[in-house]
Amino acid sequence: MTVAALFTTAIELTGPQRFLLMLPLCLSIAVVYKTMRLEDVRAIPAASLILWATIVLAMCAVGVGLWAVFSIMV
Amino acid sequence: MALVPPEPATNPAALAYAPRNALLTGPIAGFLAWLVPGLGHMYLGHRVRGVVCLVTITVTFWTGVAIGGVQATVDPHERTLWFMAQLCTGCNTLAAYGLHSIVEPHPVAGQRPPAVLAHWLSSDVGVHYTGVAGLLNLLAILDALGRADAPSPKRARRDHPPGVPRP
Repeated sequence: MTVAALFTTAIELTGPQRFLLMLPLCLSIAVVYKTMRLEDVRAIPAASLILWATIVLAMCAVGVGLWAVFSIMV
Repeated sequence: MALVPPEPATNPAALAYAPRNALLTGPIAGFLAWLVPGLGHMYLGHRVRGVVCLVTITVTFWTGVAIGGVQATVDPHERTLWFMAQLCTGCNTLAAYGLHSIVEPHPVAGQRPPAVLAHWLSSDVGVHYTGVAGLLNLLAILDALGRADAPSPKRARRDHPPGVPRP
């Protein structure tokens, strides 16, 4: 019953730390994508980490860019 | 120059790259990949690839359910399109929907059903996690269908040891 309660009760997310939830989601996307693409399974961890860092940095760059454009225009 | 006769059908090297049973292997692998993430790859002999898919997609899906709560996350009536994406994870969504049906409060006659209380941000994050897990499994299903005609890694290694030139 305790295990079921873990999945029936929502977690309350507040504050800027909620953006950290982007990191594991990006990691799972990177791992599955590289698992499908690479033929050598030993290369999956390193390639996944590189792709994960690329996704996160690119999203941060897009976010900063949009924030700068918003700051200039408003 | 004499022409080289074609390889006989019993040549193991030729058999290794022949489709196993093109009529059944693809659909079975696709169905297994939908039913349990990674199972299609395991069926085709790609065990490591299958285990990675199984762990990653399952953990992503149930993390989303834990964040948003099953009632606000897996809801075919309120979030129909997201539910269609979640359905790509097969038994995970079916189990979550079963849990949703169990814990859903039953409306009393003459009264409005009680609202599901979930923080809007939690439910949105949970839906994104579960929807992305479903779409990742859709990618895995398509990959399993694509690999169905190729030989399994074990069979390819047996028939073509490393360092030996292929015929």
